[in-house]
Amino acid sequence: MLSVLIWGPFGGALALALLPADWSPARFRQIALAIASLMLLWTLAIAWQFDPAPATWQFSESLAWLPPLGLRYSLGLDGLSFPLICLNSLLTVIAIYSSAVERSRPRFYYLLLLLLSGSVAGAFLARDLLLFFLFYELEIVPLYFLIAIWGGQRRGYAAMKFLLYTAISGILVLASFLGVVWLTAADSFAYDPQLAQTLPLTTQLLLLLPLLVGLLIKIPIFPFHTWLPDAHVEASTPVSVLLAGVLLKLGTYGLLRFGIGLFLDAWVAIAPWLATLAAISALYGALSAIAQQDMKKVVAYSSIAHMAYILLAAAASTPLSLTAAVFQMVSHGLISALLFLLVGVVYAKTGSRDVTVLRGLLNPERGLPLVGSLTILAAMASAGIPGMVGFIAEFMVFRGSFPLFKIQTLWCMVGTGLTAVYFLLMINRVFFGRLPETLANLPRVQWQERLPAVVLTLLIVIFGVQPGWMVRWSEPQMTVLVVSPDLQASTQAVSSWKSQAVRFAAGSAPPLPVEDF
Amino acid sequence: MSDFLLWSSWWIPFYGLLGALFTLPWSLGIIRRSGPRPAAYINLVMTAIAFFHGSFAFWHSWGHPPQQLIFQWLQVADLNLTLTIQQSPISLGALELVAGISLLVQIYALGYLEKDWSLARFYGLMGLFEAALSGIAISDSLLLSYGLLEILTLSTYLLVGFWYAQPLVVTAARDAFLTKRVGDIILLMGLVALSSDGAGLSFSQLETWAATAPLPPGSAALLGLALIAGPTGKCAQFPLNLWLDEAMEGPNPAGIMRNSIVVAAGAYVLIQLQPVFTLSPVSSDALILIGTVTAIGASLMAIAQIDIKRTLSHATSAYLGLVFIAVGLGHVDIALLLLFSHAIAKALLFMSIGAVILGTSTQNITEMGGLGRKLPATTTAFVIGAAGQVALLPLGMFWTLKRWLSGTWLIPPWLLIVLCFVNALGALNLTRVFRLVFLGPTQLKTRRVAAALWPMAIPMWLLTIVVLLAPSVPLNWRFWLSRQAPLADVGQWTTAWGLLLLVAAGLLGCWLGFALELQRAAARPTQKSLRFLQDLLAYDFYIARVYDFTVVWLVSATSSLAAWCDRYVIDGAVNLVGLATIFGGNTLKYNASGQSQFYILTILLGVALLLWLVFNGDWDLLFDAWRSLAAH
Repeated sequence: MLSVLIWGPFGGALALALLPADWSPARFRQIALAIASLMLLWTLAIAWQFDPAPATWQFSESLAWLPPLGLRYSLGLDGLSFPLICLNSLLTVIAIYSSAVERSRPRFYYLLLLLLSGSVAGAFLARDLLLFFLFYELEIVPLYFLIAIWGGQRRGYAAMKFLLYTAISGILVLASFLGVVWLTAADSFAYDPQLAQTLPLTTQLLLLLPLLVGLLIKIPIFPFHTWLPDAHVEASTPVSVLLAGVLLKLGTYGLLRFGIGLFLDAWVAIAPWLATLAAISALYGALSAIAQQDMKKVVAYSSIAHMAYILLAAAASTPLSLTAAVFQMVSHGLISALLFLLVGVVYAKTGSRDVTVLRGLLNPERGLPLVGSLTILAAMASAGIPGMVGFIAEFMVFRGSFPLFKIQTLWCMVGTGLTAVYFLLMINRVFFGRLPETLANLPRVQWQERLPAVVLTLLIVIFGVQPGWMVRWSEPQMTVLVVSPDLQASTQAVSSWKSQAVRFAAGSAPPLPVEDF
Repeated sequence: MSDFLLWSSWWIPFYGLLGALFTLPWSLGIIRRSGPRPAAYINLVMTAIAFFHGSFAFWHSWGHPPQQLIFQWLQVADLNLTLTIQQSPISLGALELVAGISLLVQIYALGYLEKDWSLARFYGLMGLFEAALSGIAISDSLLLSYGLLEILTLSTYLLVGFWYAQPLVVTAARDAFLTKRVGDIILLMGLVALSSDGAGLSFSQLETWAATAPLPPGSAALLGLALIAGPTGKCAQFPLNLWLDEAMEGPNPAGIMRNSIVVAAGAYVLIQLQPVFTLSPVSSDALILIGTVTAIGASLMAIAQIDIKRTLSHATSAYLGLVFIAVGLGHVDIALLLLFSHAIAKALLFMSIGAVILGTSTQNITEMGGLGRKLPATTTAFVIGAAGQVALLPLGMFWTLKRWLSGTWLIPPWLLIVLCFVNALGALNLTRVFRLVFLGPTQLKTRRVAAALWPMAIPMWLLTIVVLLAPSVPLNWRFWLSRQAPLADVGQWTTAWGLLLLVAAGLLGCWLGFALELQRAAARPTQKSLRFLQDLLAYDFYIARVYDFTVVWLVSATSSLAAWCDRYVIDGAVNLVGLATIFGGNTLKYNASGQSQFYILTILLGVALLLWLVFNGDWDLLFDAWRSLAAH
């Protein structure tokens, strides 16, 4: 079942590569779209059979690949990966659909998009540390080319920066994985939450640290973030959609799966520091976004701020906050994808993303009224206006983290307040005001360009009104994730909130700093 | 049937929402042929249905005990979010007020925005507005109310920014949103804290929680302050008061809603939260302080304004200040009555000046005059609205304040002074505006004025009648919602003399308003001290300037700093590393010269270095081996 999600896109990419290069770009687009849509349908079929309640791996597949190395091709789906797989399938379709029909080297472009999608799916599905790493590295290659070939003016610089950052990130992750397997003398790289439990706390910390830095680069969290704004600004719209919507989630997914999953003790020990880092990153991202002039940069820095909430929730690691972390990943995936799509339409129609140049685009006859309205909606969703998915996700994050990290949570909430500031500044400049003559004769927006944005908007509203439809997939899994394995073995469904308390009381980890509220 | 209508009153907010959704084909330009009018009619019909459904439910709620409908919304881990709807005479009465004013305003807007090209968008936003407001009216859950307040913030932003091509409108919309948002975020912090402390989020649960909560005083005080912040922004109270005044750039029908029931929505939530404020004396003191400062400050600001809408909007802040004081003192019934009386009178006043603005195409009262003879209905509406607003003639506000001073409430002397002050300045302000607009000679802009269109005149007449009937509400108020028992003691001098003083203050205000010399063309006094005073009040005590130099400066400075730091420090360090690498590579490439001697030399040196490293410290070993070799 699951292999199809990886090998379907890979096979599609291979098929594209074998097709004659002189076919029209539209035909390549159709083929890629068909493959991606099939994958989306396949994901829905999986969703039909996926049962979140038992909180275990489902649809597991396992094949020996390189036994001497301890590498197995083993896949599985659980409540943590399931929403992300859905997000990946959906956004791949949207990215391909919203790719401009006329473009240079279409065959290679769609091939890379499919490769990207397949390897991301592989990383989310892997149940083997080394396999995860392989897909994690594999995904860098198509993205590098996507930025370096179809990017903007400084694409070389941006692509190289992206490559170096994420390559270092990969090396650190690998180092940590190798360290775990070496020190525990395990005979394979199979993912096992109990693997590192036997190690002393100091060793766990030493192993967690490189993993953490590697994943923080990917998320990205201040001060490892500078590759992201450059990559976004230079990448074309569909690539930005995938980058913000799915690829960044690899980092936070890694935090939950490996950071918490493997090194729970060490994680709890450094959690206050992580929460503080999250608060700094949230504020830093929001403040930097206020000063940006490029619409894409505003959205990119906003991404940094919003991804920091996931780190905050992960640091708190209560069942609620972890469920919230997954929900926030989906929420951010949908909202940032929508924002990038809309900015992409504005750029395609006006030829500019500079907020000092654009004005009055809400003009009903000669401007982009629907795109403007949707941008306002997306900005409000990002700023956490209730009725849209951003609010309830962030509320759950804050509510889940507040009992543990009061000060940090409050600062993160200030960051939410600042979200409204930068998006309002952007909207006021770009969409309000009088449409200048220089922008008066814009090309009309086709319904085809609006459709993906409308679909995303509907999803944002639906999950905003009915968050239970999303939360129920991941809640059982997140509840057992933080229960330490020995406890898990004895009592399957203890509220891990209590186990956390026990952990602190037993003094196995340094006590958290107590803030007075 | 009637039970069903009462039970289904939770559905009433959805009428507005549906109306808003139905306008989409017109506001998106999918249907162009019919013009935007059908969208307006659909909304009117929806609001009318809401109104009649609400009336029916309200009528029937009197015979029934209050009941709650609980909707399970989200259940995750230890978080259980429910949305609760309250069906009681009070909540349904508030709903009825919202639906009624919304209906009148929407009829009014047909005339006011007759020629506006985006009528459909306006009605869509009004539908959203109405939905959120009526939701707040029947909500019994802080979470639901918070959510709806945020939607109100959003729709205020969009309605103030309705004419988004004008520069003043753009800044006004932004300021309205951000100011309210500050309050909302702090309220959300309070909400998160409350929820983490194990309090259920419905108002009735909060009440029982507040009675038993073992909260340390510091936390209780902070919590109270956080919960106050949201309504402070919504009700345009100091220090978050300026948005309401700026928001007057938006279309007038929305202004009617905003000044009467939108500000009231914030206060309504505040009233429901009152039990939590009893946890800490700090929060009730803060409420009283905020209310007093705003009541006095905004009354003063109002008398110096020359924009007709701003004169009235500052007065709105002032009256909402009184509501804050009432909540701070725990006088919940009075707070509700104040909201009701103020909302109706203020709505009528705004309808009246809407007709003036449309007729004269100006909002500057120094350019007006002599409209009394030309617009009799509008003038009557203004006079009756003003009478309902000021405690002078026996209309709504008079009876409300009379009830406050009736001896069942403890009235400290300072409160009486504040009331007299607000009443006097309110009377002065309204008299001043009345003289400038309706009396005196006509001016350039008031010479040709058309009478109000019938869609504007009819709601104005209807509301005039309602204002005249409004005293029946404070007179027949049968509830006792406050937590303290009524005082039987009528011996306070404040209650014995209070009403008399209040009316005297009102009379004084009117007299001053008539006696003061009004300058029409040059509204600035020539005396320096007077001019300073007028400017101080006219520019809202320069609060906006203070914001610019503090909050706005802080945010923009830190954001520039962050952006600079990002560009030059963090990214600079990254680029430096990159540069160093490239430089290193470039330098090393000169070593590849192609001469074999050089390579051999490098190899030999390397081997020597390696040997030295290997045998470092163990040279004896090497020499021994050598010696033994030589010996053989």
